[in-house]
Amino acid sequence: MEAGFAFLLVVGIPLLGAPLIYLIGRLVERRQPGLNPARWVALLALLAAFYPLGIALQTVLNQGMPVSFSLGVIRLQMDGVGALLAALALVLGALVTLFSGPYLSREDHQEKYYALLVAMIGGMIGLGCTTDLFNLWVWFELMAIASYPLVAFHRHAPAALEAGVKYLVQSAVGSAFVLIGIALVFGQTGTLTLASIRANAPLTPVMLAAGALFLIGFGVKAALVPLHTWLPDAHSQAPSGISAMLSGVVIEAGLIALLRALGAVFAVSDLWGVFLLGFAALNMLLGNLMALRQTQVKRMLAFSSLSHMGYIVLGIGCAFAFGAPNAAAGGFFHILTHGLMKGLAFLAAGALLYALYIANGQHQPLMVDDLDGAATRYPLAAFTLSVALLGLGGIPPLAGFMSKWQIFVGGFETRQTWAMALVIFAALNSVLSLGYYAPLINRMYRHQPSKRMESGQPVSGWMNVVLLILTLGVVGLGFYPTLASWLTQPAAQSLLAALGG
Amino acid sequence: MNLSVPNIVILIVIGLLGVGAYALLTVRNLIKVVVALQIMVKAAMLALVLAGRLQGQENLGQSLALTVIVADTIVAVVGLALAVEVRRVVGSLDLKALTTLRR
Amino acid sequence: MGMTWLSLTIGLPWLGALVVWLVGDRDEKITHTLAVAFSLAAGVAAVLLLPFGKERLVYSIPIGGVFGDFTFVVDGLGVFLAAIATVVGSLAVIFSVDYMHGEQQLTRYYAFVLFFIGGMAGLVLTSNLLLMFFFWEITALCSYALISFHNDDPKAVAGGIKALIITQLGGIGLLAGALLLYTYTGSNDFQAFLENPALLPAGALAWMGFGCLIAAAAKSAQFPFQTWLPDAMEAPTPISALIHAATMVNAGVYLLARFYPAFAEVPGWREAVMICGMLSALLAAIMAMVATDLKRVLAYSTISQLGFMVYAVGAGGVFASQFHLLSHSVFKALLFLAAGAVIHSVGTRDMRQMGGLGKDMPLTRAVFVVGGLALAGIPIFNGFWSKELILEAGLHDNPLWLYGLMLLVAGLTAFYTLRMMSMVFYGEARAGRHVHDAGNAMKAALLPLAVGSLTTWLLAGPFGHLLAESLPAHHLKAHGTLAIVEEVITAPATYLALGVVAVGLLAGWQRQRLSALGQALSGVSKAAAESFGFEAINRGVVNAAQKLAEWLRVTQPGLLNWNVFAILCALLILLASLAVGGR
Repeated sequence: MEAGFAFLLVVGIPLLGAPLIYLIGRLVERRQPGLNPARWVALLALLAAFYPLGIALQTVLNQGMPVSFSLGVIRLQMDGVGALLAALALVLGALVTLFSGPYLSREDHQEKYYALLVAMIGGMIGLGCTTDLFNLWVWFELMAIASYPLVAFHRHAPAALEAGVKYLVQSAVGSAFVLIGIALVFGQTGTLTLASIRANAPLTPVMLAAGALFLIGFGVKAALVPLHTWLPDAHSQAPSGISAMLSGVVIEAGLIALLRALGAVFAVSDLWGVFLLGFAALNMLLGNLMALRQTQVKRMLAFSSLSHMGYIVLGIGCAFAFGAPNAAAGGFFHILTHGLMKGLAFLAAGALLYALYIANGQHQPLMVDDLDGAATRYPLAAFTLSVALLGLGGIPPLAGFMSKWQIFVGGFETRQTWAMALVIFAALNSVLSLGYYAPLINRMYRHQPSKRMESGQPVSGWMNVVLLILTLGVVGLGFYPTLASWLTQPAAQSLLAALGG
Repeated sequence: MNLSVPNIVILIVIGLLGVGAYALLTVRNLIKVVVALQIMVKAAMLALVLAGRLQGQENLGQSLALTVIVADTIVAVVGLALAVEVRRVVGSLDLKALTTLRR
Repeated sequence: MGMTWLSLTIGLPWLGALVVWLVGDRDEKITHTLAVAFSLAAGVAAVLLLPFGKERLVYSIPIGGVFGDFTFVVDGLGVFLAAIATVVGSLAVIFSVDYMHGEQQLTRYYAFVLFFIGGMAGLVLTSNLLLMFFFWEITALCSYALISFHNDDPKAVAGGIKALIITQLGGIGLLAGALLLYTYTGSNDFQAFLENPALLPAGALAWMGFGCLIAAAAKSAQFPFQTWLPDAMEAPTPISALIHAATMVNAGVYLLARFYPAFAEVPGWREAVMICGMLSALLAAIMAMVATDLKRVLAYSTISQLGFMVYAVGAGGVFASQFHLLSHSVFKALLFLAAGAVIHSVGTRDMRQMGGLGKDMPLTRAVFVVGGLALAGIPIFNGFWSKELILEAGLHDNPLWLYGLMLLVAGLTAFYTLRMMSMVFYGEARAGRHVHDAGNAMKAALLPLAVGSLTTWLLAGPFGHLLAESLPAHHLKAHGTLAIVEEVITAPATYLALGVVAVGLLAGWQRQRLSALGQALSGVSKAAAESFGFEAINRGVVNAAQKLAEWLRVTQPGLLNWNVFAILCALLILLASLAVGGR
């Protein structure tokens, strides 16, 4: 298969698959209720995209050549960053699809869930590979629109609707800002291609304003503090599979959109990197402190996503401010490891939520107290959740330790005092985060189970398989961190190339 | 600042943005919030058309605006659908009723 | 051959951890047997590795990038600590067969013990600073998991998290050091750096040196981080013996000794190390004099003895510190395990509830006294020789007031040791008590350690040669055992120290009559019981963080208008700062 065609398939399969999934699911559901083929069609579609993705990756990563194709005036090109995002979205998406089968088994309208999930993945893949500022916005909207109904999927639960409303409104405000930014850039340069904007960006105040609008507009989706207020609500109320996707890839996709747009106006100001590092500090501190006092498991994990976005932005910000290659690679590595770890954390918490509440026909948040003694009844879910939490806390031999190390090295290599201070601040935050991860783990290994635990239902085998696969990834990358370098190094090179480094 | 066509349009864009932002900060009704969002996006669309005109690329500017209309309509539809569900489940469209998720 | 033993030393315990965990809690006997088998095998492998220490074997796994190559170096310092970790580890595991009999979730216990043993061996055998930090954190993880092994007990959970957070906080110092090393040398390997510290500019070198001191102080429970170790005594006693006396807490001393050649010339570093060691030794010894919980007394004494080792490194006595580390590992593991036998039998850790136990537990008393005399520094026990070497090192071109204070601590040590022994084993027996002596597995662990407390000092010569030959950067001079013995018994300082020890013993013996003095010093003892205010500082920091976190929750008001307001504000702030500082 030719690489360009393979790339076309990677983008095309999810986009064409989404309506197909809905149609098949809807039609079969009418004739034979309860069969739910949508889940398997969705899984099939995502798995079918892996083969062409492999071929495309080979060209992009091994030969270092971007793969591209054009449909009319729309030109898509997969570079290192796009490759990383596509790989992560597809892997996590396939696992979430597998996980969601038993999780949603009591829900109606599952075909909508799977169709929207696959469409969202398609949107993210396109977002990572766009070469045009306006198309970037279109892909971004596709991803966002697909995710709004997913957050409010439990549409009979007031809290899920509330979360969906806040998510939609705040994202839409950000999206409007981005559009204005695009109009400003277009009005100044007369072009929308990222590369030619970068080449011709005039040093005018209008371009500065455009950059600020991009930073804020996409920053809403990337959950930069103080634009983050939708995230704890949405991530805690969405079905657990969607929480895993939102935390694991969607906010990172928002960040990548931000990087693409900001990269185009990079030359206009020296302050972009400074802003990013400022956001990094805010995210780490506020995320950790807010998580410290939470009583709901998924809400705590959501706040922890804020702090991890801070680590990622710390790495990327050092690349923006100082052109530090290892910081960029570390940031992308952390996108990858955080995707695995937070995906695992949300799915393991989801498995427990399912066993304790959903399988009993209840829709309530999983409380921290409910986890008492989880290990005796649900050893695998408790163990994998512990692995995920320790990994997020940066404890070896798990993936989070290694990706944080790479970010920190990148920060120190700048040899700038305040970048180094920021790294130490980040390390202090890691220690702070143990203040809420560790008690949660302790609870699960108590002998005295919570009341909830006694009426718990068994966890399905598929869920356990998914948890095990993610755990293997988290442990494997902890022992052998360069296992992912083939993805993270080209991504860093692409980013720095886009910044003219 | 003379009152040429572009300048008038710029003023309108800024005005619409201000109206939309002000509404988002003050209104409590969910439908009105969706309307406020629409106003802000209309400002952006106008800005896109104006940018196309300033650069002598009217076709491109207008086709961008058309695309935005499509995407934005979907957002509005989803938002209104959520509003319908909120009215049905929560029993009110007041944003004050949607503050259970806090802290 | 050396490669094989090296990989088995680290690999066997980890494999054992995996196997124990996979086999699960089916049959208690199988779990015990597997754990003992794997830990013993690792101990054998480590002992067989000892002769290779002189050859400085280097074994590298290519990883690349900012992670460097995962390099293991078998040198004197490494093999000797790896041998302590695995041998004491296997004795602690054997002891656990009796001690943990009938406990739930034994696989979790043994899996973490074995994981720890492997991690500790890896920590001392690697020359990649990232990998050292990696193992460093693994030992912290295991320590945390084992302190909180009884998760239903809030004190155990609190103790575990406290230990984790404080050691991690200090670990940032090591992290910063590792980052500086990579930044300036482009490599994580510290071999070349130890040969030539000038690879780092003076400022960075100083930061790295003091960073390592902070990390070492936190790990070895030294001033001002000492507060976690007493609370770590909630762990099952074999864990206290293994992790919190014989091995993990030594990692800090090891770090200082390992990097001594690089930091010795940093202005103020040696003085800081000595003062850190002295303060820890002094404060902990005073706290040990008033504590009534048997395990806490031992914990304070561990802090105090570690203070001796840290002081020795600062004073330039790298060999003396490592030699004392060896002695201390043996006699303190013995004391902890014997204390475990007592606690297991009596069911309390409060020494005021004990007394007169010697008659019912003759063997335990005998080995405890051996350990106690070694701790007090009575001649021919191993603690005597190593402590004397430390005090002598303190006399070489080092501040005399520090030496004087350390001498005082030696006397205090004798005092609290005697107090502890007499409170537990001598005096009036309590009526209506059913106590039994240690079980067979416990005896199997106690006896080798008791023999060790009497004999390990005979290894001084070979040990010194091993260090001198395999650590070129340290410029150590090696002497035979006889020469060291001669040096100690001819030095006048030895008799001065012995005199102080004798006074301490006498005071301990007649401590009832010293009540007047006790009254006079009641302020000190009250402060000591309050751990000199360090606990209050800890609590204050935790409370402040929790309060701030609770207060910050107003930033999530839940009303959509406010959320949008925050977005608009952020945009305005960005635009304003661009307008001011734009280009």
